[in-house]
Amino acid sequence: MTRTFKHIVLALIVVIWVLPFVALVTTSLRSETASKTSGFWTAFTPTELGHRFGTHDRDQTDPFVTMSGNIFERLNGDKESFEVSGEVNSILFKGRVPDPDNAGKTKLIKQLIYAGEVMDVRDGEFVFQSNGDFTWTFPEATAPKPKNLDAFINQDPVFGTDAYVEVLFENENVPNALISSFIVTIPATIIPITIAAFAAYAFAWMRFPGRDWLFVIVVSLMVVPTQLAFLPVLQGFSGIASWATSLNAWLTDCEATQTCQVASKSFASLWVTHTAFGLPLAIYLLRNYIVGLPKELLESARIDGASHLKIFTRLIIPLSVPALASFSIFQFLWVWNDLIVALYIGSADSADLVFPIRLQKQLGTFKDQLHLLNASAVISIIVPVIVFLSMQRYFIRGLLAGSVKGG
Amino acid sequence: MNFKLGTAASVFAAAALFAGPSIADVCDTPSELGDLGKFEGEVITIMGSMEGKDEEMLTNTASCFEKATGAVVKYSGSRDFAALIVADLRSNNAPNIAIFPQPGLAADMAEEGHLTPLGQESADWMAENYGAGPSWVALGTYADKDGNEAFYGFPYKMDLKSLVWYSPEQFEDNGYEIPETMEGLIELSDQMVADGNTPWCIGVESGNATGWTATDWMEDLMLRTTSPENYDKWVSNELPFNSPEVINAMEVYGKFSRNDDYVAGGASSVATTFFGDAPKGLFSSPASCMMHRQASFIPAFFPNKGEELTDGSADFFYFPPYESADLGNPVLGAGTLWTMTKDSPATRAFFEYMKEASAHEAWMQQGTFLTAHKDVDLSAYATPTLRKQGEILSSATTFRFDASDLMPGAIGAGAFWSEMTAFANGQDAKTTADNIQAAWDAIK
Repeated sequence: MTRTFKHIVLALIVVIWVLPFVALVTTSLRSETASKTSGFWTAFTPTELGHRFGTHDRDQTDPFVTMSGNIFERLNGDKESFEVSGEVNSILFKGRVPDPDNAGKTKLIKQLIYAGEVMDVRDGEFVFQSNGDFTWTFPEATAPKPKNLDAFINQDPVFGTDAYVEVLFENENVPNALISSFIVTIPATIIPITIAAFAAYAFAWMRFPGRDWLFVIVVSLMVVPTQLAFLPVLQGFSGIASWATSLNAWLTDCEATQTCQVASKSFASLWVTHTAFGLPLAIYLLRNYIVGLPKELLESARIDGASHLKIFTRLIIPLSVPALASFSIFQFLWVWNDLIVALYIGSADSADLVFPIRLQKQLGTFKDQLHLLNASAVISIIVPVIVFLSMQRYFIRGLLAGSVKGG
Repeated sequence: MNFKLGTAASVFAAAALFAGPSIADVCDTPSELGDLGKFEGEVITIMGSMEGKDEEMLTNTASCFEKATGAVVKYSGSRDFAALIVADLRSNNAPNIAIFPQPGLAADMAEEGHLTPLGQESADWMAENYGAGPSWVALGTYADKDGNEAFYGFPYKMDLKSLVWYSPEQFEDNGYEIPETMEGLIELSDQMVADGNTPWCIGVESGNATGWTATDWMEDLMLRTTSPENYDKWVSNELPFNSPEVINAMEVYGKFSRNDDYVAGGASSVATTFFGDAPKGLFSSPASCMMHRQASFIPAFFPNKGEELTDGSADFFYFPPYESADLGNPVLGAGTLWTMTKDSPATRAFFEYMKEASAHEAWMQQGTFLTAHKDVDLSAYATPTLRKQGEILSSATTFRFDASDLMPGAIGAGAFWSEMTAFANGQDAKTTADNIQAAWDAIK
């Protein structure tokens, strides 16, 4: 294979992977109609789109002979962004005329009228120019009802950050979800990595009966599907919560204020669940890494009189940074993107919902407002991207964690 | 109306406009709220499937109860309600109130013993005070694990299904008249095709509930092609799914939905069009269809979230019956069922609250909400549209509940949905009916 061919294949793969993200970002910056009526790739060039405009306001009832106006002014009205500009190509004219073939019956005609041509609207003559100016002339002063017309406009590209402003500042849902996601994700990453580091050291360097069997059990726990465990886990939390509630009632005077109830679904229950499900892989990865550290180093530390704790904190931790970092990234991404655990185990309070649930709710509510969903999705992607990029150098080393043994 | 290209902000302003009175005014209803007791600081948790605007209106309505009693109502809505509530009930994490969108699942939960009966007194109250009361009581009555029947589900917030939505302006431009009979409706559809228009927008995609829109069509057509007695027998499977009456109704539905000339995007698009996107064809520029048959909640999915109804760019007419069939004016509807999943004095007070006319009016004022409560002040309806729907509800000669909601979950929220989707994708009516009947036989 030649070098160029390889480059082409590589470039192709990159394009395929990046394309959905480009589509997402582009759509999030477009107006609602534009993103609903045309593909994202049309966003960068002038594109013909249909727009419906009204000739005048409903409350404007003064009779006139000639009314002049501008289609773009009518369309843009009091809009502050995504203003439509470009050239008016044509207007779709619809109306019934007597049918020449069937006496007494009428026939619907639909016809594209181009700039400068005369069109019969409510018995008046309607003429428009491609810059949007139109005149509507009647033989005598009349006050016609407003007429909505479909104009095909060769529209200039227009982008705006309205969707971001709206999801971030106009209501508290997305900002709350961001905070909740951090509250869930950070402890749910730190707790398992801490426990796993201790456990991995023990499995790698301490001798105790049944060590290998215990390790096999831990490793085999990796294959337990999360979904299977929901019901028993929830039952467990419910038991703990009712026990905590009675303890609370016994220790404090909460009964007076009706605040004894301890919630069984909370941030804490998410931490515990994510920790439990993250631990087997964490222990496995870290143990395999730690077991590969030079034996001589640890033995000399032992001869110098260092305790297990000292060896762990002074030697193992600094040497295991790549493995710790790479597992942290795994765990962070998994918890950040988790929907199902949060849905079943997490608090259902609107303010406590994590980002994936909020996105799912937007899908339910705003399936018709794609641009808002897209904006939220971009925001939710940014965090993992920052985490990934800032820890990238550990990640690449960490991918090899446990794969090479030596010493 | 100016076709709003809507910056997000203007769309939201529109939504707010349609939402009507502010929260403070919501509780200010024509009817006086009775004494419900005081429950200072007590928390009532409610779980349901309503999200978005419905969630907002529910919270507003509950806030009137909070104001009157001092209790705190916490609502959480999720599209995955059906899965979540089962896990919560079975793991002793029950909320106080669960709002079931379908009686099938509520009946299953009652059988497992997770629901608390609301008492004979409530059932009697409902029979007396709701229009067509006994049928509403029947909708909320299930058997417990010993087979004893009791009243568990309080129907509150109803939907009317037999409606056809259209754009008056399009009808005016094209010179179409609103049909009074099914024959007229079919004639009008053919006329539209002859004119080069597309009459219908139909979409049945709805995630893991795909197909339910098609079952609504089926039910409406069952009521128009056969007697209400046969409809009831169909619901209980006394009349098998593959009997000629049912297959006939399915074929009539096929004449609408499997006709490339009739459906925007062609018949093959029906199964893949999101039900909430389907009505947007009425308002697209240029309009991709002329009519859309859907329940009363659908304006929330219009491009301007229902503002179309206030400014006259959208309206509806009653999905008419066949003149030749002589079956009166049948109406299809549904309602959400509020059940008590964890007993507490404050929760019982909440159910008392739902009996108050004021609780119904509070929601009526805000938007899409219909009620069968006889004592409510009809002027409280937020829009003339809703009032007109209220009138259809009351002038019906036959009222029937959504059949798929009444059938066992495995059928009504399973085989019926999936097989109707297969039907949309080209499976013939006989096979579809046979498959659903086979699924039903399997659970007997």
